[in-house]
Amino acid sequence: MIENLSLFQLVVFLFASGALLGLFSRNSRFTRILTFVPTMIGSFFTVIFSVSVILEKPFQLMVPNLLPFINFEIKVDGIAAFFLLLISIVSFAVSLYSIGYSKEYEAKKRTSVFGFLFNIFILSMILVVASNNSFFFLIFWELMSLTSFFLVIYDHDKEENVKSGLTYLVMTHFGTAFIFASFLLGYIQTGSFSFDAFRNSSSSFPILTKNLIFLFAFIGFGTKAGIVPLHIWLPQAHPSAPSNVSALMSAVMIKIGIYGIVRTVFDLSGFGLSPEYSWWGLLMIAIGSVSAIIGVLYAVIEHDIKRALAFSSIENIGIILVGFGLSVVFASFNLTTLSALALIASMYHTMNHSVFKGLLFMGAGSVVYATHTRNMEHLGGLIKKMPWTALLFLIGTISIVGLPPFNGFISEWLTMQALLSSYQIPSIILQISIAFASLPFALTIGVAAATFVKLFGISFLSRPRSETIAKIKEVPRSMIAGMSILAAACVLLGVLPFLGISVITSAFHISSQPINPFDTIILQNNFGKSFANLSMPVVIIMLLSIAIAIFGFIKVIGGKTKKTTFSTWDCGFGNLNERMEYTGTSLSQPIRVVFKTLFRSHTQIQREFFGDHKYILRTLKVESFTKNIFEEKLYLPIMSSSIFIFDKIRKIQTGKINAYLLYIMITIVLLLLFVRLSHNV
Amino acid sequence: MYSMVEILVGIIQGLVIILLSPLITGIMRKTKARTQKRMGASVLQPYYDILKLIKKDEVISDQSSWIFRICPWVNFVALATAAFFIPLFLMYSPFGLAGDLLLVIGLFALARFFTMLASLDVASSFGGLGSSREMMYSALLEPALFLTIFIVALTYGGTNLSTLVTAVSGATLLPHPQLIFAAIAMFVLVLGETGRLPFDNPSTHLELTMVHEAMILEYSGKSLALIEWSQAIKLLILLVLVVNIFVPWGISSSITIPALGIGFVSLFAKISILAIFIAYFESSIAKWRLFRIPDLVAVAIASSMIGIILYYIK
Repeated sequence: MIENLSLFQLVVFLFASGALLGLFSRNSRFTRILTFVPTMIGSFFTVIFSVSVILEKPFQLMVPNLLPFINFEIKVDGIAAFFLLLISIVSFAVSLYSIGYSKEYEAKKRTSVFGFLFNIFILSMILVVASNNSFFFLIFWELMSLTSFFLVIYDHDKEENVKSGLTYLVMTHFGTAFIFASFLLGYIQTGSFSFDAFRNSSSSFPILTKNLIFLFAFIGFGTKAGIVPLHIWLPQAHPSAPSNVSALMSAVMIKIGIYGIVRTVFDLSGFGLSPEYSWWGLLMIAIGSVSAIIGVLYAVIEHDIKRALAFSSIENIGIILVGFGLSVVFASFNLTTLSALALIASMYHTMNHSVFKGLLFMGAGSVVYATHTRNMEHLGGLIKKMPWTALLFLIGTISIVGLPPFNGFISEWLTMQALLSSYQIPSIILQISIAFASLPFALTIGVAAATFVKLFGISFLSRPRSETIAKIKEVPRSMIAGMSILAAACVLLGVLPFLGISVITSAFHISSQPINPFDTIILQNNFGKSFANLSMPVVIIMLLSIAIAIFGFIKVIGGKTKKTTFSTWDCGFGNLNERMEYTGTSLSQPIRVVFKTLFRSHTQIQREFFGDHKYILRTLKVESFTKNIFEEKLYLPIMSSSIFIFDKIRKIQTGKINAYLLYIMITIVLLLLFVRLSHNV
Repeated sequence: MYSMVEILVGIIQGLVIILLSPLITGIMRKTKARTQKRMGASVLQPYYDILKLIKKDEVISDQSSWIFRICPWVNFVALATAAFFIPLFLMYSPFGLAGDLLLVIGLFALARFFTMLASLDVASSFGGLGSSREMMYSALLEPALFLTIFIVALTYGGTNLSTLVTAVSGATLLPHPQLIFAAIAMFVLVLGETGRLPFDNPSTHLELTMVHEAMILEYSGKSLALIEWSQAIKLLILLVLVVNIFVPWGISSSITIPALGIGFVSLFAKISILAIFIAYFESSIAKWRLFRIPDLVAVAIASSMIGIILYYIK
């Protein structure tokens, strides 16, 4: 076994060399190979590294005084290794996919710059998770934000992309400011930038400080994770970025926000504390369920594939937060077992979301690669042209909707069980409010199914809605291989849940016993009876044997019958064409009507008549709009008021030297006064 | 762990649900016909239909893909598998070790998901129409369903169906007031999940009223047989759940021939009464306008919320 230290150095070296090779290869034929193959090898070694950390012992590295007074510290414990594992698995698959995908950009743009940014982006995510010092954490955090910003605006010829890049840049720095504040509070208490110092003395922090640190960290990291109402950047930035980058951003970068929240709660020993910290968990449950329902409702009316997936990321972050919040609430009432259950549920969903959202964004990327459109109203019939992409996308779809026997079902099942277990909390108010929080949670799951029926059904099935579809062909093999890795993970994590659960239990030190992957999940109630059981291997065997039995039954009793292919039934009118099909917008119309208070949808109908005839139409134009109430009611007022304030502030910038000298003098006088006064006290 | 005999009885329970389901559908159709002053077909007609259909040739749309072809199989396999988790005349099912009520709901959702996809696959407007309405129904029914499960699971200590039914059968007549509210919600859910009036009219082929029938319009032959059969299984599973969760008396607690016999007879009687009641209820109301349905679902949700509050504040 290689030492963890050399493994870690190797990983950093590989990503750096991928970045540099990309930069120096100057758009030669080998650029794609030279940039993405080191990334793949680096990711592969990161997988080995994180698994060995989870199984063995934490990894630590310190370079004293790299900058004056600040030590460069790296520490990878179980929690960090768990997130490293997610990053590395997804980036392995995505870089394999990128070898084919970046062909798209080869003709038009500098792929070398892309390769550089891509490698640095993944490396910075790894280093953020590995940092053990708030100073370096912020440096890598910023590096991650900036590289991803440049990747978002990589297609900068489209003005829309630059705009969404800017929204992203502003929002991410809004978040960083809060993270900064939270670290500063820790620094004030301990006089050190090291996370170790925070951890060791966090139990002696005053309650108010602890609460503030948590709140600031939650806002800061929550912005990165995309919680409502700070989610505004997510549905803009993710669709604008090239699809391999959106896969990375949605599958792993927003998970770093979750990592930050988890890390803060653990470091502040939010677990096993008194009930006064239960509001942390309640806040997360509340924000989580709001994010879930808002995210999914915007996803279902969306007709841009990548935007719909981005909104669905908000939804899944919400589900993760509900699970994690429950875990904190349980822990604050000393219900250790239930807390572990909820923690496993939320981390399982984190892992699942990385896997299937990576897969789905890559699938959407393949669609864009082949058809050059993200609008599902122009797609259709892709399943015949791109059978592999369609199959893999379908696996991702079934997983994300949470249907057995794939992985999404396991984590949603666990989260539901955690919600049901809330009856053990000794507080009626909490019991009832958590029970009611399961209402948006369940609604989310229902609407998510609708969202993905629409997404898959409209883009991949039925008749092509535009002529370009006739000419497209399946994407290159490397892209399919990249997607297959994550699709295999979806199936594996669904069929053998204990593979995932044992990774989580050993990473979070819940239990160190090795678990047989074929075990049954057993939850017990207060009377020692089984509350719920789930054994996916048995379910799979049942499904298969019933499938074989019914197939045999039908074939034996029914005998041989003929299958005739004929056109779809057209009520005898003939000539069904693609304009008569249901569109994505009409498919989601009932849901849009039911939730019209949220969407503020309105329809404009313009009629033009033949002369004076009131009944004979010459043209009819129907337009339907939905409004984004968050942009309209929350962000626009903030933006316009800040523009107003800055306009006023601008007045002091006269451009005259003597005025500026006056300002400087006033400042100095005020500072001197301040120093004098503060010394007196 | 369970003995071989228990596992055998468990398998028989699942098979009974699968084999008995067309009969229940037949009883409901007969009741509807009689309340409408028609003679109606024999109660065995659904069996004849299925047997006839699996011998017939199929016509498949030229627009469709393999999704359309595997959908009936997925439907049947998912719903038939769900049948094995349900305690029928014995108060537990050995398969309860492998899955619970949430898994059964998940299998329902799997079947529905594929039906919605298949209906979009054939590129007709009918399919889209059915799928779009079904999307709304399923999205709205999901929270009502989960909250109802919440009440039942809390009252009886589990989503494991064996634990649940065992706990229910030990209880006295309507022991908990919250269950009345759960039962109201559950009744609405059964109507919605199985596409009965006022949600959907299973015996019509008119585009204004179709939901489920619109989705399966393109199916014929063996595929149609599978879909019809799996719908019957789903209906029976839901009726059994209602009966065994809310009125379980008579269910057998041990594997002896007389006990199982009483269990089976009482179950069959209760199921038939419930089926006849639903069919009669269907005959006495009209299909509701699509956008009035959310009100009905809201009643179910509100009812189950009241149930939860009642459970906690006792």
